[in-house]
Amino acid sequence: MNSQPLVLRAFRQPGSLRSLSLEDWDLLLRQARHANLLARLHALLDEHGLLEQVPQQPREHLEWSHAIAERHTQAIRWEVGRIQKAMAEVGVPIILLKGAAYVMANLPLAQGRLFSDIDIMVPKESLNAVEAALMLHGWAATHHDAYDQRYYRAWMHELPPMRHVKRSTVIDVHHAILPETASLHPDPAKLRAAACALDGHDGLRVFAPSDMVLHSAAHLFHDGEMENGLRDLIDIHSLLCHFGGLPMFWPDIVERARELELTRPLFYALRYAALILHTPIPADIEEAASRTGRPNRLMLAFMDSLFTRALLPVHPSCSDGLSSSARWMLYVRANWLRMPPLLLARHLFHKAFISPKAE
Amino acid sequence: MMWRVISAHALHFRSWDDEFVVYNSLSGDTHLLGAAAAHVLSELQRTPAEAVTLAGSLAPVLQTSFDEELVLETERLLAELDRLALIERSRF
Amino acid sequence: MNISALTLPELGFRLKTAGIFLQTGSFVTHLRTSIASVAEGIGLLYADYPLVEQAGFADFHVSLACPRTLRRWFKPQVLFLFDGRPTFKPLPLDQAFPMLEWGLNWCVSSHANRYLIIHAAVVEKGGHAAILPAPPGSGKSTLCAALVCRGWRLLSDELALVRVSDGRIIPLPRPISLKNESIDIIRHYEPDAVFGRKVSDTMKGTVAHMRAPAESIVQAMETARPAWVIFPRYQAGAATRLEALPRSRAFMRVADNAFNYSLLGVRGFETLAGLIDASLCYDFSYSVLDEAIEKFAALKPPAP
Repeated sequence: MNSQPLVLRAFRQPGSLRSLSLEDWDLLLRQARHANLLARLHALLDEHGLLEQVPQQPREHLEWSHAIAERHTQAIRWEVGRIQKAMAEVGVPIILLKGAAYVMANLPLAQGRLFSDIDIMVPKESLNAVEAALMLHGWAATHHDAYDQRYYRAWMHELPPMRHVKRSTVIDVHHAILPETASLHPDPAKLRAAACALDGHDGLRVFAPSDMVLHSAAHLFHDGEMENGLRDLIDIHSLLCHFGGLPMFWPDIVERARELELTRPLFYALRYAALILHTPIPADIEEAASRTGRPNRLMLAFMDSLFTRALLPVHPSCSDGLSSSARWMLYVRANWLRMPPLLLARHLFHKAFISPKAE
Repeated sequence: MMWRVISAHALHFRSWDDEFVVYNSLSGDTHLLGAAAAHVLSELQRTPAEAVTLAGSLAPVLQTSFDEELVLETERLLAELDRLALIERSRF
Repeated sequence: MNISALTLPELGFRLKTAGIFLQTGSFVTHLRTSIASVAEGIGLLYADYPLVEQAGFADFHVSLACPRTLRRWFKPQVLFLFDGRPTFKPLPLDQAFPMLEWGLNWCVSSHANRYLIIHAAVVEKGGHAAILPAPPGSGKSTLCAALVCRGWRLLSDELALVRVSDGRIIPLPRPISLKNESIDIIRHYEPDAVFGRKVSDTMKGTVAHMRAPAESIVQAMETARPAWVIFPRYQAGAATRLEALPRSRAFMRVADNAFNYSLLGVRGFETLAGLIDASLCYDFSYSVLDEAIEKFAALKPPAP
């Protein structure tokens, strides 16, 4: 494995970018682009007042990606406004998740982020009313196959994605943050109870700071797709740096992880953020998270070898022979965590042979 | 029923001859509008208004009489602008 | 040093090993391939382009390779790779050079967001540029090729790049892509024009590329001021007609033909408005090339 890929060095020590040669910039941009981090890199340099010092040619590329990120942010704000309007009559607080939450809460990590779907969480009892309200305002159901419908509603934790007929934007409506079939059960009622209001946006909420971090950790360390592993880890790093200054944040997050059954994901999140991105974490907190969430020694060694490879950007300059199999194993592992093995086999079988889609 | 523009600073106008292109920086959409629609939008940008008032100001611009038909046309125009998310109902 | 300084074997060797750094307008592309037809195409059509030695930085890293599947023994194919990742479905190996050209266009049109990028040809004469936006089949490339053979500078046959910061047009002169009957029409129109090999059965029919005039390449770093936006339409038997187009309509039609108008948000709006402000806008129909050229020669720039 290459020692310290440039893109990691960039996020650990932005100041070190001052001394990069043109050749280094060429490689850094390529690594960042592969990891979908180009716009984040622009935001990082901007935040540290370093953009002016970037040589003209690489600077062009950073500005190109910045234009895309700005457009995405504009689109998210608009879309959230439309959702707010659609949900006004339902009378149930809507919790924005992930990217949409970061934007509307004006968090630093929203800068330079690209978005695909919008994710929201509502109480399970309100799912029908929410779905109906969305359809009234132009969102249509996708995945019409009866099996897919059941997969999403009964086994996962969401309605099948809904696509707007005119704008083509997609909204994912969740009622929990992990599927009912998963081995961990963070209680959605607890998450809702702690959710914070957004200034100037009636009816919209976002997760409390520790819950935002824990959700991101659960998403990264349970989901199968590591294509954006580094980007997601950088999100966690950014959230921890931003909220780390709040009084009681650190002891609270350990306690909250215990409450929500997310001690294992928290342990991994802190461990790999510190290891890979050098996130500053108080020693006593690392210890406490380790006590409550650490797996046995053999498992930990195995997970270390999987995650340290899989969280690197997918670029030839960052891989060794083991990397793609590491990623594959995480995919199988994550799916196993989400669905009991029998269901998984049936699901994959069904997907492969019974409902072929014309892509 | 009172109407207003979606936001005071969101709309960017350019015009050539009698037609207008409008960019809505909230929705990201661009629209081609005729003189009547552009006039209504710029009035609403100054202050919220009702269909009747707007029809009254439109009459001299379109060089037509201020009558019931004009008010109906104006209401239809407002509904269209609402559909395009350029304006919205105002509470005041 | 230009590409012409290398012999074909030298060029082929470089392409196969370390690759070459090719400068087209403001963009530097690092290109690698072992495919002979691509090396030949480059040697012929990019002869006058500068080779950047020891570049260190390239805007785009591109390679053309044959997928290593069983298929390669009976129906060889070619893949276009952008920094090692395939961007399109594979094409028959025979189409490797056209694929390079399409791929290079894609590199710019998908990334260069400091420009409003319009699907259009751009030519310039006397300090004034004409932008010819057109959906496929309108004859824009034929007209562009003809103009360029009659003294107009080629800025691009495919991508009009309008710089957001100041509204200037950035050149990107590259081989002009012609298809089907246009190839012979231009060959006949300009017997001295240099053409690459004809490639048949592509998605666009039979395709060939005409070498850009050397002067256009020499001037590749000189930006241009827009003066006309002209929508061409070839129609057999049609009279040559230049018809003034209301500017607001021109605005909307250009926006429709732009790759990144919506992506650029308010800056896209302002850049396009600036372009339309600065230009006289027309619909143009023609059937006889000589008459079309005459009409263009007689174009009056807008009052300053």
